[in-house]
Amino acid sequence: MYYHNQTNNYENLMYIYLPIAEQPIHSLVIIVVGLIIGFIMGLVGVGGGFLLTPIMMFLGIPPPVAVASVANQLVAPSVSGVLSHWKRGNVDFKMGTVLLLGGVLGSSIGVILFNFLDKIGQLDLVIKLSYVIFLSLIGSMMFSESLRLILRKRKGKISRGKLHQHNWLHGLPFKTRFRKSKLYISVLLPILIGVIVGVLAAIMGIGGGFIIVPAMIYLLGMPTSLVVGTSLFQIIFVAANTTVLQASQNQTVDIVLATLLLLGSVAGVQIGAKFTNVLKGEHLRLILSTIIILVSLKIFTELITIPSDLFSIVIRR
Amino acid sequence: MKFYLLIHILFCLIILSFNVKAQNQIVADLSQENVEISTDFLGAKILLFGAYDGRKGDDIIVVVTGPKGLATIQKKGNILGVWVNTKKVNYINAPKYLSISSNRDIDKILNQKTQKISEIGLNNLNVRIQPGKPINNEQEWREALTRNMLKSKLWSVNENSVSLIKNSLFRSYLSLPSNVTTGKFEVKILHYRNSKLISKETSNINVSKSGFSAEIYNIAQNYSTLYGILAVLLAVFIGWGTNLVFRKV
Repeated sequence: MYYHNQTNNYENLMYIYLPIAEQPIHSLVIIVVGLIIGFIMGLVGVGGGFLLTPIMMFLGIPPPVAVASVANQLVAPSVSGVLSHWKRGNVDFKMGTVLLLGGVLGSSIGVILFNFLDKIGQLDLVIKLSYVIFLSLIGSMMFSESLRLILRKRKGKISRGKLHQHNWLHGLPFKTRFRKSKLYISVLLPILIGVIVGVLAAIMGIGGGFIIVPAMIYLLGMPTSLVVGTSLFQIIFVAANTTVLQASQNQTVDIVLATLLLLGSVAGVQIGAKFTNVLKGEHLRLILSTIIILVSLKIFTELITIPSDLFSIVIRR
Repeated sequence: MKFYLLIHILFCLIILSFNVKAQNQIVADLSQENVEISTDFLGAKILLFGAYDGRKGDDIIVVVTGPKGLATIQKKGNILGVWVNTKKVNYINAPKYLSISSNRDIDKILNQKTQKISEIGLNNLNVRIQPGKPINNEQEWREALTRNMLKSKLWSVNENSVSLIKNSLFRSYLSLPSNVTTGKFEVKILHYRNSKLISKETSNINVSKSGFSAEIYNIAQNYSTLYGILAVLLAVFIGWGTNLVFRKV
């Protein structure tokens, strides 16, 4: 009677106290979430962080901890993914290195920005707004494209677009040859793409695959076969840089949360990759884009509905 | 052996109650003085019990106050249809934990004025606003502080939760939620007779992180860069490891 035992039933045993988020969480829930997200990643090639961070926030993890820990967990499936792609020769390391130089610079800027926004109390808003803008953009683009592809296939016509178009972007200086990708373009372009994706990665807790993959295809004109492997390669470094900087600047990386997540996601990626031949890509993307649009709508409604309490509290340690 | 133990307890109780009677004291003890936040922490429930020199109609109020610190209240406003934090007020010495327990409604024990003077009750705390810009409608902000702290379960009022037995023993459960902060918690036991304070006793609960969870927290705070590098390396190894495992499968 004097001593109240807290772990007296099995249900409670599943809870684990997160040392940085400073709250207990059901470990199985986190592993299953990781598994599902990993499965989607393995299946589609992109889409880990931008679904994971909102889910963590829905589960009550403080946004700064969610963003930083998801960046940490992203390292694992990216390493695992790059190794498989590398074996198949699907990584352009030169392009990847140029992209990651921009990415490391961008994510460093992103962490500084993150710090500043936290200080002025607008971090939650910026994270949520970035999610609404990017998720709805990417979601609707993916939705319309996969729908168009499905309809076109049904009609039986398969038309090919141009391999790549020449525009003003190809007139930039510092032209370099990327042999693997069969490209002769300015290094400024991939660096710039890297910087933009890096900033977003740090603020949103994403790898940026869903931005960098279309950018590599449509802006750089890289062969589709190299895109996923190369983007995963650069994501490792952007996510690693974000993790170290978030840890040293803000102490927001919860290693326990990240490890639980990545235990699920690394297995999910492998399982998902095995299913790529079973499920049709465009149907998959249609489903994924629907999920993305729904998530962005959910966050958007949160932002525009009158809060039940206009006042909120932040307790500093 | 059992017999001696019984005699011993009896002897202690006699002395205890004798002392309590003689000096009008409160003697109290806690089932747990150290609360450790370890990996399986889901909150704690602590039994507070003891003896007091009471008469019929006496009251006991127990106030537990956690460490004090900065609490920021933010207020949202609508900008272009989106709800944005537009204003904020900093309270510099808000208790990060507060529980007020009593044997019956506090309003029946003490009148409003006495409550205010003795700083009992959520609205009578002496919390100061960080000096700076003048604030209009201070009351609204102060209510928001109380409301949000109650919602987070870090503040609580538990009237009728102190049990009194034969006007000489009292017992109460104190609960610390899982989001409780670490530090020293002061437990104040107040004995009232006809709204007058007869005696009081204080003791402490120490809440600290312990074990694996404490070590991780300490490394994250004190060796933050190293912690970040370790977090990355761990992820790299697990990623690499699964690749090896699944290649063989």
